[in-house]
Amino acid sequence: MSEKKVTLAHGAGGRQTAELIREVFQAHFSNPEFTADDAAVLSVEKGRIAMTTDGFIVSPYEFNGGNIGKLSICGTVNDLACMGAKPLYMTCSFIIEEGFPMDKLEMIAASMEKTAKEAGVRIVAGDTKVAGKGQADHIFITTAGIGRIEEGVCTSGAFAKPGDVVIVTGDIGRHGCTILLEREDLGIEADIQSDCAPLWGTVESMLAATKEIHVIRDATRGGVGTVLYEIAAESGVGISLDAQALPVSGAVRGVCGMLGLDPLYLANEGTLVVIAPKDKAEVLLETLHKGKYSAKAAVIGEVTEENSGKVVMTTEIGAQTLLPQPGGELLPRIC
Amino acid sequence: MEEKKKTAKEIIESYDGPKLRIMEVCGTHTHEIFRLGIRKILPENIELISGPGCPVCVTPVSFIDEAVMLALEKQAAVCTFGDLIRVPGTKMSLGGARAEGGQVKIVYTPLDAVDYAAAHPEEQVVFLAVGFETTTPGACLAVKKAKEQGLANFSILTANKTMPNAYHALKGSADAFLYPGHVNAITGEEECRRLALEEGISGVIAGFTAKEILTALAVIIEKSRTGKSFFVNCYPRVVRPEGNPAGRELMKEVMEECDTEWRGLGVIPMSGMRLKAAYRDYDARIKFALPKIEGRANPACRCGEVLQGKCLPSDCKVFGKGCTPQHPVGACMVSNEGTCSAYYQYQL
Amino acid sequence: MCVGLAAKVVGVKNGMAVVDASGAKREVSAELLDELEPGDYVMVHAGVAIAKITQDDESETDDLLEMLS
Repeated sequence: MSEKKVTLAHGAGGRQTAELIREVFQAHFSNPEFTADDAAVLSVEKGRIAMTTDGFIVSPYEFNGGNIGKLSICGTVNDLACMGAKPLYMTCSFIIEEGFPMDKLEMIAASMEKTAKEAGVRIVAGDTKVAGKGQADHIFITTAGIGRIEEGVCTSGAFAKPGDVVIVTGDIGRHGCTILLEREDLGIEADIQSDCAPLWGTVESMLAATKEIHVIRDATRGGVGTVLYEIAAESGVGISLDAQALPVSGAVRGVCGMLGLDPLYLANEGTLVVIAPKDKAEVLLETLHKGKYSAKAAVIGEVTEENSGKVVMTTEIGAQTLLPQPGGELLPRIC
Repeated sequence: MEEKKKTAKEIIESYDGPKLRIMEVCGTHTHEIFRLGIRKILPENIELISGPGCPVCVTPVSFIDEAVMLALEKQAAVCTFGDLIRVPGTKMSLGGARAEGGQVKIVYTPLDAVDYAAAHPEEQVVFLAVGFETTTPGACLAVKKAKEQGLANFSILTANKTMPNAYHALKGSADAFLYPGHVNAITGEEECRRLALEEGISGVIAGFTAKEILTALAVIIEKSRTGKSFFVNCYPRVVRPEGNPAGRELMKEVMEECDTEWRGLGVIPMSGMRLKAAYRDYDARIKFALPKIEGRANPACRCGEVLQGKCLPSDCKVFGKGCTPQHPVGACMVSNEGTCSAYYQYQL
Repeated sequence: MCVGLAAKVVGVKNGMAVVDASGAKREVSAELLDELEPGDYVMVHAGVAIAKITQDDESETDDLLEMLS
């Protein structure tokens, strides 16, 4: 029997579409709010709501430590978590290339549901379109989500204050490194898994320890370096980093050494940058070190009044240099 | 009572002798010196000049034009180190050629380009061979391997260069050179020793860790006090006195010296490498009958003077304005090792 | 001009060596070096092992500073 594939008929709105939705999506995303109607009807408690959306294209769609489905849930859950919002409901929209293997679609849907469960979020509506062969790269997913912002929580990239500490919740660069090794034909082998993870639990535990957190950002595309530059600009402050405090796994360091790359610019999908008052550093670290995804959390620097808009690095010889501004495509180099 | 020995950093920070101009001729040194912030700890009377040691920075515009022509007009699969992708040519960079549909592949080593050619017999594969004595043996290995395998679809476009004649061209630009350790890993100590003994050109072979760079600078400072020209191998854990004879033999077997253009420095006689006649089938210029191209650099760009230590990046009118790492005008802004790029990115 | 990477040789076969840089492994050419053995440390540049490494930079720089005094 030949392998079952997604066909254009699955996107035509007729019997096959209904079958696809029933057999793949309803089967996995079953929950009371999952709608067969045109829109999900939800009741939300009083209070502030955060809402976000994110599109996912990743090649390859399956990688060490995750797949595009898990990624599409984590991305939106983490964006909500960064605002101190408990993720409640999500929608997901699929664009699938004709010929995509059905079992892979099932694997992706199962992974989405598992990740959503872990994050405590419900997938309540979805959409499927099938694109002709060559009109999409295997599968694209767009998710949107809403979350309820915890009472007394107020985070923003603009709220970093001089004297605050800068924390990363895990060792950096693993997702970017994983994808680079799988995508490029570089012949390098390393035991590196993407850090892709839903981080509401991480944020919830931090907020339980203290509500006084000024900034939470997930260090996705562009990595920690890029996020720090964003925060420095939005808050109008300087950020001073200690080069030797950056948590980087040996294998990521090795790959970066081979290719002349800097882990500060590699993407993460399960690592946050957290900025909080100095006197909260200890309790935050203590909390994070107990967490499933944040055992390697570390203070990597502090917010300064001087060097506004800039990220400054204290190097291993004790001198201060500017962290180069991130930009452009990451290119392996020999010189 | 025994005096406590000074650390390399202390020797550097406490230097109060006459003005000392030290030129690093290796882009990785330039990059590490900026990354570590070594300039910040130098006293005023020590000046570090970044010389022409980045293969990307000294590669002339015409080479990029040739590579773009191979990708777009000759439909070749161009394999290159990532460093060259953004270097501006007369009309466009290789990144631009890729956006126009040309096939431009980044490889980690020239040997991967050979493997790619073997796996894609229907494509013509060209590897862009840039670099100094450290990198050239890899290109030679690739050509030999292709010949052994009888691959008819592999060739290289050479812009390989050698350092010794550049030291002569730069004599007088500095009081001492920080020699590029990984070049010397192949070439050994002999030439640098001769430069000190016979031509009065001083320098030390330096490694690349913070300790090694600081120690090499400290050695230069202490040796300069004698007033005589000097040579010290400060990277003996990697650089043997004899270098790597097998690497040199290989280069001699596959390539021969030729005159070559250095971006900014002009043509330096016998400072380039090209394939020998026995390997002409693997020379992309011959294989694709490439015409002689006169590349045009942006006239406002002062990369040439920057490379000779004659002016600082900040003296150039386009530096940081029209010319940034995102939109480089000159090659020194492209490479991570480029002097302009390092100044732009790391200077507080 | 040349990014070099210090790595440990973990295997040698047919002129190629597998090297390990703190967990990142790759096959590189060993043709420029005689008698490489697993356990040796080498300097790798663009996929070619260009030199054996004989000591760490700590003892190397200590020796040099000793020479100065």
